[in-house]
Amino acid sequence: MTPELDIEPGSSHAYHTGDWRTRQPVYRNKWPPCSQTCPASEDIQAWLALATEQQWQAAWRKLTERNPFPATMGRICYHPCESACNRKHLDSAVNIHAMERYLGDRAITRGWKHKAVCDTPQTQRVAIVGAGPAGLSCAFQLARQGYPVTIFDAQAAPGGTLYSAIPDYRLPKSVLAKEINAILALGIELRLNSRVGKEISESDLRDQFDAVFLAIGTQRPRQYLTKESSKHSVMSGLEFLHRLNRGEQIALLSKRKSKQVAVVGGGNTAIDVARCVRRLGAEVTVICAQDSHGNHHRELGTEMPASRQEVIEAETEGVQLIYRAGVCRLVRSGEHLSGIEVAHVDQVYDRHGNFNPVLFDGTEEFVPAGLAIFAIGQEADWQGLERLSQATESEGVWLGGDAVSKSKLAATAVGSGYQAAMSIMARLKGESFVFDDHKKAQITFRQMQLHYYPKQPRHEGETNEQRLDGFNEVVTGLADDDAAHEARRCLSCGVCFRCDNCWHFCPDAAVIKTTADYEIDYNYCKGCGICAQECPCGHIDMERLND
Amino acid sequence: MKTNAMDKRDAFRHNVLTSGHRACSGCGEAMAARMVSDLIGPDAIYINATGCLQVFTTHNQQSAWQAPWIHSVFANAAAVASGVEAALRAKGKGTPVVVQAGDGGTFDIGLQCLSGMIERGHDVLFVCYDNEAYMNTGVQRSSSTPHAVRTTTSPPGRLSQGKHHLKKDVISIIAAHHMPYAATATIAYFPDLKAKVEKAMRIKGPRFLQILSPCPLGWAHDSALSVTVSRLAVETGLFPLVELEHGELTGVMRLAEQKPVEEYLRPQGRFKHLFGSKTGAVELRHLQALADARIRHYDLLDADTQWDTERAMQSARHGRGGYASSMPTSEAVKNDA
Amino acid sequence: MKKLLEGSQAVAEAVRLCRPQVVAAYPITPQTHIIERLAQQVANGELEAEFINAESEFGAASIVLGAVAAGARAFTATASQGLLLMTEVLYNIAGLRLPVVMVCANRAVGAPINIFSDHQDSMAVRDAGWIQLYVESNQEAVDTLIQAYRIAEVCGLPVMVCMDGFLLTHTFEPVDLPTQVMVDNFLPPFHFSRTLAPSRPMTLGGGSEPENYQEFRMAQFEAMENARAVIEAFDAEFDDQFGRAHGGLLQAYRLHGAQTVLLGMGSLMGAVRDVVDKLRDQGQAVGALRLRCFRPFPAQALTQYLSGVQRIVVLEKAISIGAGGIVAAELRAALHQAGNMTPVESVIGGLGGRDLTPEVIETVFQETPLNEKGATFRFAPNHVMPDETDRGDCL
Repeated sequence: MTPELDIEPGSSHAYHTGDWRTRQPVYRNKWPPCSQTCPASEDIQAWLALATEQQWQAAWRKLTERNPFPATMGRICYHPCESACNRKHLDSAVNIHAMERYLGDRAITRGWKHKAVCDTPQTQRVAIVGAGPAGLSCAFQLARQGYPVTIFDAQAAPGGTLYSAIPDYRLPKSVLAKEINAILALGIELRLNSRVGKEISESDLRDQFDAVFLAIGTQRPRQYLTKESSKHSVMSGLEFLHRLNRGEQIALLSKRKSKQVAVVGGGNTAIDVARCVRRLGAEVTVICAQDSHGNHHRELGTEMPASRQEVIEAETEGVQLIYRAGVCRLVRSGEHLSGIEVAHVDQVYDRHGNFNPVLFDGTEEFVPAGLAIFAIGQEADWQGLERLSQATESEGVWLGGDAVSKSKLAATAVGSGYQAAMSIMARLKGESFVFDDHKKAQITFRQMQLHYYPKQPRHEGETNEQRLDGFNEVVTGLADDDAAHEARRCLSCGVCFRCDNCWHFCPDAAVIKTTADYEIDYNYCKGCGICAQECPCGHIDMERLND
Repeated sequence: MKTNAMDKRDAFRHNVLTSGHRACSGCGEAMAARMVSDLIGPDAIYINATGCLQVFTTHNQQSAWQAPWIHSVFANAAAVASGVEAALRAKGKGTPVVVQAGDGGTFDIGLQCLSGMIERGHDVLFVCYDNEAYMNTGVQRSSSTPHAVRTTTSPPGRLSQGKHHLKKDVISIIAAHHMPYAATATIAYFPDLKAKVEKAMRIKGPRFLQILSPCPLGWAHDSALSVTVSRLAVETGLFPLVELEHGELTGVMRLAEQKPVEEYLRPQGRFKHLFGSKTGAVELRHLQALADARIRHYDLLDADTQWDTERAMQSARHGRGGYASSMPTSEAVKNDA
Repeated sequence: MKKLLEGSQAVAEAVRLCRPQVVAAYPITPQTHIIERLAQQVANGELEAEFINAESEFGAASIVLGAVAAGARAFTATASQGLLLMTEVLYNIAGLRLPVVMVCANRAVGAPINIFSDHQDSMAVRDAGWIQLYVESNQEAVDTLIQAYRIAEVCGLPVMVCMDGFLLTHTFEPVDLPTQVMVDNFLPPFHFSRTLAPSRPMTLGGGSEPENYQEFRMAQFEAMENARAVIEAFDAEFDDQFGRAHGGLLQAYRLHGAQTVLLGMGSLMGAVRDVVDKLRDQGQAVGALRLRCFRPFPAQALTQYLSGVQRIVVLEKAISIGAGGIVAAELRAALHQAGNMTPVESVIGGLGGRDLTPEVIETVFQETPLNEKGATFRFAPNHVMPDETDRGDCL
């Protein structure tokens, strides 16, 4: 056959260069480090992406799929997500915390309502003990799926620790109440002042409900082991915060001579207490057995557990902190406390990892204080739930929240409630349940091409200059414009944001752009790897092909 | 035939240079040519010099081009384009004419025809895909090959550290023709490349683009690194991105920061012989000095321009990075929908 | 109406009448007067064409290549070194099957550098795939050029009109220039089916492989074979319309009863005819045959014309170094192929502009033993110039 002098356009399509390939690109969503570290497993990238498009309500809905407390968490969460944010390798972490609050506040202001996911009502009933973040989170998920849920709580108001132990300057009661009401509006029955073992019995719970979720939290302060029996001028941090939140006067502080307070502990409760004390007009010293943040530590893991940001705020407010100091004894003058004798802590934890400080003789110092508040941890109080707490999921009983988890973050409780709800629903439907805890491929900044992102300053809320005058919020929410800009700072780690790089850079026109996303035409992809190399967010993996 | 819908596979671009071509995996020239031809579109006549691009796009009755395209011989692309343009002018047609050639077809064998085309003022865009050697014939040195590079005809040996001579400053030669527009670009900075192609297409008369196009085979780097390497060529100052209009320097992409040449040289096997020997170290210093000299010549660190390497990497797409930019076609597609 | 015109001017006028849209050239003696005239015509607005001053003959050939590929009728002219510089492009034009028409003002090829006429230049590119028509007079140059466009465009082959440098290009002869209407009637507007255009985005000049390259050449060869009939037909049609013909492939002179026939090409054939007349007057049975079309080689027609002739002498103005006469060798092959074993004497002369005077040609007709055993050709004897310095006027 005589060949043609002119060749048909695009006739090379007949030649499939994909045969050359020894490795191939695959678009694969990764789980960004923010979500990886979020105790509530929020899909942070996804809701920030929606916020980027200024689809605020959609962003809020995406967020609340996992966490129905954005306004609350956006205020009180210690946001481990931001510590993990890859953006800190470019300039500074995305202000996820403020974005979460922004969405939560926007939802409250605009009265957005949660929607049921499933319109078919379920008949199997679920009881939840504890109306804290874990219990409410679980109830929220179940109610969204149409399950009738009843929450029992011993207190007179819902919210658990969120209500009783978080000071107003961090979380106004009204914000918490509105988010709880939005959850309850899904049709959840809430029975307050109902302690199991008193108002309702364990057996009633077993009989009347198909599943029970125990999320009782940690309401009992860990006791400070001391030889003396006097409780005068000594209280627990939890008690202090409870009383404050109930609006009680803290009597000892009102006396003129008691203007100095010592707080013992290195956790967030200790810092909360200290900052409250400052607002009540007293001087305060935090006695912390651990090291300060950011020091080079002799032992690993001896950094104080409190949030660094909170400590900075506390110091700004005039809170004194002394580190690596352990309590030797309380120094009294008669009944009255005159101070605490402390000594240098050599070893914070014993070889089993338990908090067990070793004090060095001869290093004693005196910390003057008219009131000592011990914020050294709290534990669950299983009274009245002795039998149920021993039951298993196969018996229809689930445990969750602070009472059973090591981390005491509110977000952890929310995540725990979510997991319990999923597990409960699976069991009620007779399905096996594997929790999607997002152990997908992780993504670090090394797999990303950060030079494709412009440096942009982080946006913050405004700081209240008169913060010590009462319990007003210290930080305001983001302005609308700032929120829009802050959302755009998200690098979208591991998740395609349609930058077109793979499409532009494919030498073989083997990346096809569609209205929804990109596709690789493996008939022609030669497997050069440029798309993966130049993907800003590390969304593309190269897989070796076996022949 | 409706030309702008020829490639049915992708609704967002023409794919003037489409799939099924036989370029090596990771070919920088294929990428550059696809970018340029898509920016110009199918309503143009393309003239190709002999070289890799011609060889890998037209093979045995198969063509990867979806626009009118002709290849004659190695040296004459600019002259053929002159004739095509003259014919169009005679017929009162304004179809754009584009020449595509490698560095051989531009710096060396094609320079005379190119010079003639420019001197006569033909309304032609000449695009040089500069991969700094004769890659098609198996990596022989050209006058575009930089100093100290290993090629098959400038091999390092006991008495040699690769190419003895310097890379020809072709952009200055071209600009000296009182050239309406001459610019350098590279694949790593697509927004810059796009702006330059679009600017070139708005200007009447001869126009010239020199596009650095890494060759994984000839430069001996991983096929995935073509874009990265071309970016480093710019960031080290070895390949300045400049625009010259009627011989005057009118645009410079400022370096946000100067990177040491070693970052550029290390991933490339063609410079491997320079590492680990005393004589090689001299050439490394020489290459650094050449980069420094170019930076001074074009004022790459302090030029008064908003356009720097960092900005050029990024796009307006929500300020979130990446290269997203609407191609002329994507707008059309949206309007159709 | 006849006008006294220099050969170059006559050709330029003929080019104008063919309405080329692009003219590209690079000056080289003795082609310069042709393109100078064309440039002036464009400058005067007499010829509506783009006149492109190429930077070399290589560029000029490439420009007309591009122009024709883009659908324009194009013209170029060159000679000698210029033609050889074009060689790569000549092959390419033919391979792309582009109907380019050019004039080769035949000139010797250096070294030593020499500006005068012989056929070495066009003979050197005889295998490039171009039709080659050798003209004898300025009138024939005009007429052949007009025919050439039609032949090229019908056959899809480029045509080289070969006219002797100086002897024709710089010589004034009375020429009958046809009117534009006549030429327009003979030569329809150019339409190229493979025109580069976005409406028809085809690829031209793509790569080929061992499995089809030969087929391209076969197709080209076939087109060349078919061109013979086209050349003859258009010469005949030209005759009908213009009242002049030039013999198609071959032009015979007094072949009837001729026992000795001299075969040659180009302008020397006028002198040859005078010599034939003189020898016929002396009772010698001689004739002459002018090879007008060298490519395609008219083997069959030659065999027919030369059957029964006892002695054939080929006088040619080019030499294949290491082989001898080029036309002679091809003629021998053609006759041998047809079973005709008549000896063909090969005479080479006129190289580098040396005069082939009637006296010299007359001696060529004489049987002369070859100087060396095994030689395939002999050189024509020298004409003794009365005064060597006369030559200077030609420069």
